[in-house]
Amino acid sequence: MDGNLEISLDKLPVRALDAIEENGVERYPHELSYDEKRVSLIRRIDFAWALETDEERERKKKQKKKNSKDATATWQWQSMVENLQLAHQELSVIIDLINTVEANDAVTVAGMTRPKPLPNEVLSDLAVSAATKLQCYRHLGKYFKQSAKALEQQIAREARFYGALIRLQQNWKVKRQRVAAPSSSNEGFTIDLFDNSLYDSATISRPSSLSVIHIEHDSAGMLAINLPSNSCHSLHFGFLGVHSADIPKESSKIKTHGSVDQTTRDSQKESMSDDESVKETHLLLREVHQSIFNDQVFDMVNREAFNQSAGVNVTGIRENYLQLSIGQGTSLFISLVPSSKGDDQAVDTANAQNLESAIVSLDSFDDVKSGEGKHDITEKKWGFPNRISCEIYLQQIVHEHAFIKGKDRPNSSGTRVSGQSGKVGSGLLGHFSLSLAHRIFSNRVLMKLENVVCRVPYLHLMTHPTWHSRTSSWTIFMKVPQSILHVESQSQKSDFQNMKDAIKSQFRTKVVVNDDRINVEGEGAPNVVGLFKRSSEDICSVNKYDCDLADLPVIILQQVASQVIRWLHEEALMVGIKTNRDFLCLTFELEQGETVSLVAHVDPEDIQGCISWWLVMEDGFAEDWKLQMDMSDGASEYRKFLGHLSLDVLYSTLMDLVSLCGGGGNH
Amino acid sequence: MNKGTGVGTGPTAAAAAAAAQKQKTMMQRVETDIGNIVENFTQLVNVARVNDPAVGNSQEAFMMEMRAARMVQAADSLLKLVSELKQTAIFSGFASLNDHVEQRSVEFDQQAKKTDRMLARIGEEAAASLKELESHYYSSARRTAESA
Repeated sequence: MDGNLEISLDKLPVRALDAIEENGVERYPHELSYDEKRVSLIRRIDFAWALETDEERERKKKQKKKNSKDATATWQWQSMVENLQLAHQELSVIIDLINTVEANDAVTVAGMTRPKPLPNEVLSDLAVSAATKLQCYRHLGKYFKQSAKALEQQIAREARFYGALIRLQQNWKVKRQRVAAPSSSNEGFTIDLFDNSLYDSATISRPSSLSVIHIEHDSAGMLAINLPSNSCHSLHFGFLGVHSADIPKESSKIKTHGSVDQTTRDSQKESMSDDESVKETHLLLREVHQSIFNDQVFDMVNREAFNQSAGVNVTGIRENYLQLSIGQGTSLFISLVPSSKGDDQAVDTANAQNLESAIVSLDSFDDVKSGEGKHDITEKKWGFPNRISCEIYLQQIVHEHAFIKGKDRPNSSGTRVSGQSGKVGSGLLGHFSLSLAHRIFSNRVLMKLENVVCRVPYLHLMTHPTWHSRTSSWTIFMKVPQSILHVESQSQKSDFQNMKDAIKSQFRTKVVVNDDRINVEGEGAPNVVGLFKRSSEDICSVNKYDCDLADLPVIILQQVASQVIRWLHEEALMVGIKTNRDFLCLTFELEQGETVSLVAHVDPEDIQGCISWWLVMEDGFAEDWKLQMDMSDGASEYRKFLGHLSLDVLYSTLMDLVSLCGGGGNH
Repeated sequence: MNKGTGVGTGPTAAAAAAAAQKQKTMMQRVETDIGNIVENFTQLVNVARVNDPAVGNSQEAFMMEMRAARMVQAADSLLKLVSELKQTAIFSGFASLNDHVEQRSVEFDQQAKKTDRMLARIGEEAAASLKELESHYYSSARRTAESA
């Protein structure tokens, strides 16, 4: 308030006469009610002073603004702040007044009307609202974009995942379990590697823990399969004492994926395309599948090894390792090796080596004869079949028997059929061990045969592949030289004889090995009965059931020598000389009752030749002989060692003897 | 339900009925979701007009956010439907799967036969070579004896 005090005067509350009418009625002014009085009092309050001060202030501020406009940069919200302050002030005044009036209980506020907004206020309100709304829409727009991006990513991830899953499903059995709470890494998909097509479910005692593989997402959302390291096994086979360091480093079964840990896989995966990762997963599943099969093979071997009828003895057992003795002093081992690279394998290699060197099988050297030790070892080393082929064979027979036997195999060859009959009785392991034993034995037989054949020039050895795992067969040919045949052919009379002779130019001895039984069958050897009857059958068979090979060379040589004797005998008959044939001896009768015999002597150990010939003369007149004689004893027979003669020389010797006999020959 | 699909036997009819029901449910879900999206978007566009009392604007702002969230949720639900369909396709596409399995079986059988033939051929060739080599070896002038 300023210094001047304004005073307003009211009328006295005296009832002043307003008007008098002619009839004397006095008219007084209408009395105001209490409320009306209050209202009139309020109306009389003059707010001009407040308005004036406000206007002054505004004027001052405008001046200030004008003054300071050029000097300083005004804050953009300054005017708004001032307006707000003014509005606040006005409001506070009005509110105070209203409160005062109401406090005095004289007046209540009937209503307040908003002052009509000015156009610029309207427009600014509108602008603010529009801006707010626009802001809201922009915010929504961003939200939609974010959501769209996230959903697209999710679609992409799912597309990759399901694409890979569909491709896997082409080859593998995918199953789904309803997972109660599907986590981000596991939606309940699994791959079942258990084979329902097994012929004999009892054969497979337990499904492997690897049979069910969980499909998970990796960090990129792509399909991933996580396997614990060293969970895949490969089969390892070997002969004790022979294969010392043959752990399959170079084997194709090395698994490089199963044991790589997850982090490296992730880092590699980012750089791989989807195709490659699906291929890798296929490979991994295939490896697991193979590993399960290897486990089953080992399981089967374990079970059958303790079966007495299998014919094998268990000589050592450890975890995932089995050592068997299959007879003939041979021991082998079968083990499951974790197929992994790196340190684990080195450890396994060392372990296996230690094991093999520690458990030296003394049985391997049981039949080492004195003086033949080194030779035998070499022989044994050479005679063992290839380790990897044995592995493959074992897997093949298990696969064939356990998985395929129930189904038709239209292309099964005769050997397989016959082979299967052998399996039924002794079981798969029995058959396998018998096959191995046979292979080792037949190698030894072959060595013996080759030794014999190499030392006799006119013998040929021919191998007949039987395509049977437990049978081997060879033929030893003795061929009459062409020169002799040529000579004979000049003196042929009939075609029949020609043919007959043509047949006789080859003499065969057949050697068949079944398991460990050697059967020698040859023509030209007279049997005992034939000797008595003075006639020889064309074919005699000499069967010998003997695991010891020592007799085989002697028998073969005897067979061959008897064939030579027979041939000579027939040649002599052909030129008209009567000769007597004994087992290894051809006897000519001379004029004075003397006999001269051509005797064969067989010695398998003779390096220069296994068959040597002696000329034996019997009956007196020794001093008349012009031949030089070796008098080994005082008997009435004289023997001359002719040496190791070829067939040509034998033939000419024969002819000499024939001429000595004095018989007229046709030549 | 919908047993009149024309299939004769019991289980197949039930399975066909179940499949039809499932299909119907899925279609309903699809329609619901798409209706949701459309309706919410329509409402969003409708409130673009600026109201006179500004109070309505803030109310509309909240409503817009809510409708936007609903739209996104409907889209997500559609995606899940698509995943379900994919899974169903994976596990129910028996015809194509069987065909594929058959095809692969045939391929593998052929490969097995081919391998067998190849092995037989290899065996025969090896036998023939062995025979020839043996005859040459034993016919040759010099034969080294096997010694230790």
